Amino acid sequence: MKQFTHSAVAIALISALAACGGSGSDSTPTTEPDNSFSFDATEMVTNLTEDVIVAGYNDLADEGEAMLLATQTLVATPTQANLEAAQDAWKAARQPWEQGESHIFGPVDSMGIDPHLDSWPLNTIDLTTVLSTTTGFDAETIKSWNDDVQGFHTMEYLLFGDGVADNTKAIAELTANERDYLMGLAEVFRDYTKDLDDAWVVSHDASSGKAYGELLKNPGSDGNTFYSSNVGVVEELINGMIGIVDEVGNGKIADPFGESVSSADTSKVESQYSWNSLTDFSNNIIGVRNVYQGELTGAADKQGIVDFVAAADKDLATRVGTEIDNAILTIQAIEGSNDMPFRQAISDTEGRKRIQTAVDALSKLQTSLESDVLPLLKTWKV
Amino acid sequence: MKNMSKHVKLNLLAATIAGVFSASAMSATDPEALAAAIAKQEAELVALKGQLKELAKQQREQQAQAEQQKAQQLEQQTAIETVQAESSKLSKFSFKSYGSVIYTNDEYYDNVQDTTPERRGRFDLERIVTEFGYQFNDEWDMEVEIEYEHGGTGSSLEYDGFDEFGEFEAEVEAGGEVMIEKAQIRYRPSDAFGVKFGNIHLPVGLSSTLHKPNQYLTVQRHKSEAAMLPAVWNENGIGVFGEIANFHYQAQVVSGLNSEYFRTYDWVASGHQKRFEHVNGDDLAYVVRLDYGNFKSGSAVGVSYYYGNTSGNRHKTNKMSADGTVGILSVAGAYVEGPWILRGQYLNGTLSDADAITQANKTTPGLKPGNFAQLGSESEAFFVEAGVDLSHFTSIPVTVFANIDYSNPLKEVESGIATKRYENTWISGGINYFPIPEIVIKAEAGVQQVAVSSIPDTNFFALGVGYQFSL
Repeated sequence: MKQFTHSAVAIALISALAACGGSGSDSTPTTEPDNSFSFDATEMVTNLTEDVIVAGYNDLADEGEAMLLATQTLVATPTQANLEAAQDAWKAARQPWEQGESHIFGPVDSMGIDPHLDSWPLNTIDLTTVLSTTTGFDAETIKSWNDDVQGFHTMEYLLFGDGVADNTKAIAELTANERDYLMGLAEVFRDYTKDLDDAWVVSHDASSGKAYGELLKNPGSDGNTFYSSNVGVVEELINGMIGIVDEVGNGKIADPFGESVSSADTSKVESQYSWNSLTDFSNNIIGVRNVYQGELTGAADKQGIVDFVAAADKDLATRVGTEIDNAILTIQAIEGSNDMPFRQAISDTEGRKRIQTAVDALSKLQTSLESDVLPLLKTWKV
Repeated sequence: MKNMSKHVKLNLLAATIAGVFSASAMSATDPEALAAAIAKQEAELVALKGQLKELAKQQREQQAQAEQQKAQQLEQQTAIETVQAESSKLSKFSFKSYGSVIYTNDEYYDNVQDTTPERRGRFDLERIVTEFGYQFNDEWDMEVEIEYEHGGTGSSLEYDGFDEFGEFEAEVEAGGEVMIEKAQIRYRPSDAFGVKFGNIHLPVGLSSTLHKPNQYLTVQRHKSEAAMLPAVWNENGIGVFGEIANFHYQAQVVSGLNSEYFRTYDWVASGHQKRFEHVNGDDLAYVVRLDYGNFKSGSAVGVSYYYGNTSGNRHKTNKMSADGTVGILSVAGAYVEGPWILRGQYLNGTLSDADAITQANKTTPGLKPGNFAQLGSESEAFFVEAGVDLSHFTSIPVTVFANIDYSNPLKEVESGIATKRYENTWISGGINYFPIPEIVIKAEAGVQQVAVSSIPDTNFFALGVGYQFSL
């Protein structure tokens, strides 16, 4: 009985103390739950560099070569079939370039390749002057001109026409001088795509520097002034994805879309001459998926950003994957059931609803990448 | 006077003593008389002693007074000298200031495809300039001019409508900045000859001479000049100058331009090296100017020539070896008589190796001149402004004016086609109202024409208020 009393007193005291302790701990900061995670990024970075980025630029350089050949054929034998073959070559080159916009850092930026290849809008006023006053275009001369009369969109304009009523062109509409200029432009284009590819696999500064791919794969190694650790590399990759999602959602789509039908502006639609806009936009986000999944569509599974995210949060990894897919699908769905091009869709009531759906999907994806994926770098135990 | 009375008193004393002794000698035999005489003499002696004491006291007082006076005089002297020194220090110091706030309303094109302009009004605390000077002596003086542009500091964000979708770019060059516009030391032994060195103004372009709001009629400084060369151009270097029989001459050796930043729209203007801490000085430039008359105060005619290489000042020195020589000829005239104001300037520039520079700029990492890479091998600009000061005819202090500015930074290109997109003409008219001489309120309206026929003309108007004063 006495022991019981003692025990009761002891229990009472302990619970009182525990209560005090409990209330006391409320006022002291709670210790952060350990949400850090480990992930060895070496394999992922190697894989993304080789199988996604370099493979993409390789493909682009090949398509550049193919397009030059197609235009040379067109100049030699100006037939409707050869014109259409050149149009196809243009669209084929467009694919790796637009997909590559999800990692638009490194040589493509530092060498100014982006504006050389893909300056938009096109300066039709100057282009008309060039065509009416000059003949015999060689690549070196064209390179010294401003970027807005060369690159993808100048070739597009010559190949496809003005794109207002249709995206087809008869060979009779393409003058000999225009064909010559087209061939010169294709040569300039081929040179730049080759320079870009070389920068990743041979030398990033076209002289004594290491290949940019090696620098990306070996952060912190001797003489690597670009990346000191894998954290910087992964950050670059995630920011690359965010950058293009932002550009597609808030620039490429939203700018011409405007706030209402009355403020929609077709003059701002990229790739409007070929009516390739929606393919461009979805390729941009497929590029994001390539980086996220770690392989080009259809290739065998390799490590990508998804594996990094999954190491921290499996549910998040799945959710972002779904959001990327959804963004691609909603962009593709803008054409509706009757293959409506983007430049028409912005002025169409139903089309605008579908565009809004795509914009929302892109906005959701951007938020996830910015607020959920990017902060993982802080809890990553390198 | 006091000295005189002293002598008189002493003589008097001597005469009295002599008299006393002679009197005692005469009456020594009479004891009463003797005692009386002794008593008298004693009394006189006492009186004399007293007088002497009084005299000594007076002398001491006089001396003290004199010393005090001397001290006072000395004090006054020092005080005068101090005041004189203070006032001459102040008179050697000079402070000047001028500035302007403007409102502009222009029509803009969204991008190179756009031919439907959109109207946009903008306010700008254009510039506040403070200028401090000090005249060390008759021959040496110094001057520092600090300019606060667009009311701020640091880099500013600029909207670039010509870029893809219209992009926002951080522009260090473009405004919101504080900078030293001039920091010079001058040695001027005579009117005919002087030397100045430090950060000096180049006498190329009339804006370098006439940059205060009351010295030009338009709301903004002449657009033609800004589209071709650095407006109110300053560089580091040394120059000689002087005035002989109403001829003003200048000759300078100064830091050159950097061709990495030459752009289509303003030719060599953005090659002005001000975005880095150090100005590359591997290529120097040479400037000469000769004026007859004085542009600042009235009628004048003048000619100037600038010559210098620019490639040596590139940061990436391995990108090009050609010189990139810039030559600029300016011819200017002003007729300012009574109510009439007529001023004009013609600028012609040449650039060697324009294609090589374009190519080097396009392939230099980080430069990205993009659609503004093409450079004119020849560039041209002029303006003519004419005004009538109505205060000569009425009581209203208003000057009405008409102005035309023209610039074409791509007059000629080495190869290929020179786009006409940058060939601009601005024609305007307006008024300058001076409520007091130090303040001017301006209004201007006009039309801007681009030499491309498919780009429609746009209308603009602008309001501005400016001030200038000097202490």
